[in-house]
Amino acid sequence: MHFLNDLIKQNAYSLDTSSKSKFFRKHLNFLTSFHYKKSNLYKSYLNGINYNLKQNNSLSEIPFLPVRLFKEFDFLSIKKKEIFKTLFSSGTTSNNLSKIYIDKTNALNQIKVLQKIFYNLIGNSRLPMLVIDKQNTNLNRNSFNASTAAINGFSIFANEIVYLLDQENNIDYKILNNFLKKNHKKKFLIFGFTSNIYLNLIKKINIKKIHMKDFSNAFLIHGGGWKKIEEKKMNRNQFNLHLNKKLGIKNVRNYYGLVEQIGSIFFECKCGYLVASNYSDIIIRDENLNICKEGETGLVQLLSLLPTSYPGHSILTEDIGEIVSDHKCKCYGYGTRFLIHGRLKNAELRGCSNI
Amino acid sequence: MKDDRNIEYLVGKKAKLDVFLEPFSFKIVSFLDDLSKALDNNSNNKNFPDLKALSFFCRKNNILSLKDKHQTKNSTRFGLGLLFHVTPSNIPTNFAYSLIFGLISGNSNIVKVPSKKFDEIGVICRSINYVLNKKKHIKVKNMITVIRYASNNDLLTKKFSAICDARLIWGGDKTITAIKKFDTKPKNIDIPFADRYSISLINSENFLKLSQHKVLNLIKNFYNDTYAVDQNACSSPHLILWKGRFNMKAKEKFWLHLNNLVRKKYDSPLISTVDNYSRLAAEVIKNKNIHSFKSFNKSLYVVTLKRLYPNLFIEKPKWGFFYECNIENLKNINYVVNRGLQTLTYFGFSKKFLQTFFETNNFKGIDRVVPFGQALNINLIWDGYDLTKILSREIEIR
Repeated sequence: MHFLNDLIKQNAYSLDTSSKSKFFRKHLNFLTSFHYKKSNLYKSYLNGINYNLKQNNSLSEIPFLPVRLFKEFDFLSIKKKEIFKTLFSSGTTSNNLSKIYIDKTNALNQIKVLQKIFYNLIGNSRLPMLVIDKQNTNLNRNSFNASTAAINGFSIFANEIVYLLDQENNIDYKILNNFLKKNHKKKFLIFGFTSNIYLNLIKKINIKKIHMKDFSNAFLIHGGGWKKIEEKKMNRNQFNLHLNKKLGIKNVRNYYGLVEQIGSIFFECKCGYLVASNYSDIIIRDENLNICKEGETGLVQLLSLLPTSYPGHSILTEDIGEIVSDHKCKCYGYGTRFLIHGRLKNAELRGCSNI
Repeated sequence: MKDDRNIEYLVGKKAKLDVFLEPFSFKIVSFLDDLSKALDNNSNNKNFPDLKALSFFCRKNNILSLKDKHQTKNSTRFGLGLLFHVTPSNIPTNFAYSLIFGLISGNSNIVKVPSKKFDEIGVICRSINYVLNKKKHIKVKNMITVIRYASNNDLLTKKFSAICDARLIWGGDKTITAIKKFDTKPKNIDIPFADRYSISLINSENFLKLSQHKVLNLIKNFYNDTYAVDQNACSSPHLILWKGRFNMKAKEKFWLHLNNLVRKKYDSPLISTVDNYSRLAAEVIKNKNIHSFKSFNKSLYVVTLKRLYPNLFIEKPKWGFFYECNIENLKNINYVVNRGLQTLTYFGFSKKFLQTFFETNNFKGIDRVVPFGQALNINLIWDGYDLTKILSREIEIR
């Protein structure tokens, strides 16, 4: 996609609201038609909901695919032999996973975009990275679950990767001490799932076993959802405070993204807002699927310019969020600022089918 | 026993549950009548229409009329002995009906109530305890234990399964599979209440003849059959069959009025928006039998089918998601009938007509045929089981 090549020359947060919305309107309409032609399932969907395939539909009119459908259907806009990678959502049962098919172009674009976004966060140089997880010993390079995909995605910014946990999920203090000894003086990355950071760096870690407790140069990136943290009655501020108090980590940034949409990765800014880059955007919808106003909480719809190998350029997630005013801060540059308030609750149904 | 620490006794306490009686014993009738009064005296009742309905069910007159209808004349019957009830989590009063059916058929009962602490359960158990403290109900006191424990407490489920004479397993397929893993006495009878679905049949010509007042009443009944339980009860209709010459007009009127009521009265969580839209999206992709659909609002989706087909409900819809289809020949109901089909609610047909119709067509499913508004009315015959008969034994005397 040639327009991406142009875009990639700019800063990742260069588009102001009006030029971004024009740009997105044009290219998302294009992507809708593109996938309509390439994917029979997507075509049935658009025909089924009587979608009017015009080129100048407004952004709010761009059709969205409910994210749950990636579990039931194999959406493909490429030939099977062009599949380069298959991504799976994290889930407990294997028959209930989202399957996302990526070709080489999409995989490459994903990396390029991540790099652009990451640049605003930590600059251009590769850094040592401490992963708060165990090393994945599954060597299948063509299929990834969400956690491996995320670690792999971020690993391109690392010149050295070490894993904090051994295969039994215990903290390997020897590895940690070696890593700190070698890297504590310069900027380094810590990456992990929010729940793993909580469990290991807040709960489990024994600071007496750390020889050189110097995390002042650490830049911690975490994502994957706050659910398990909220169960412990801990919020974002307390989470960050704990990391600071216990280990002296000052820079902590959450990110938000879904396996189901490549190109959509949103990093928290210093003020605590998630910010959309040039490549993706967010719409909040109410219970009737109408657009919410700024500050109103509703269902999160995500837009991305990247997906061409599958029709994932506009998806309706099961997350709840809220857009906050652009005027709140200028971190990174332009881009919609928003908050995520977690996943939809599996409501208690009335009726007789549960125990 | 050490696992007893994990049980909460709401009624009874490790009572000797070896009492059994004849079905419709006067001891039970008198207990239930007192229970009805105790439930009424509870000032909170006004806030709980389901408790009011329960109290109404327990009245002496109602039980005696049920006795008239269900008791086999000139036979000697007794309860099987001890029943173990595993009751569902989402209809608060269901455990009470299950218990009452056990008592009426002459049995002692261990009733496991759901872990969710509904107010109704508290009120009912307090009322039962109050009545059981009367001297005259001393025998019945030995027939009731109501307990609460975690569903994953296999030790307890195993223990109760081993000693009972029958298990009433509510809560659908998953619960049934889980409970059936535990051994029972060889002669034990399991009564499983599996996942079911239900349909409605409307005579469009008769519907269009209704006065405005009666239309609203019919819609209200349909609403109570469905939305009152998020359309998630086995008996709530999911498919509406239209029969008659003016189906188009009747449908329009029916959904319009229902939509008005739903907008006014129904409140559902945000996840219902995603559930319903996702279901629609998946249907338009995969279902070749769809003629058209209408989404009136987030809680009223109507998918019009070209024709009926088997396995219409692999996964039951909820939150106000309906399928509809015209039916020229009622015999075509057969396309959707299987063992999973529980209730058919109807409007615009006579009971006599339907009696003849079902007598002459051996359908594999359909256990209940009731007018609109009665889908959820639980009774001694449920899911095709004649409970007082199954839960009692007959002594053959020649």
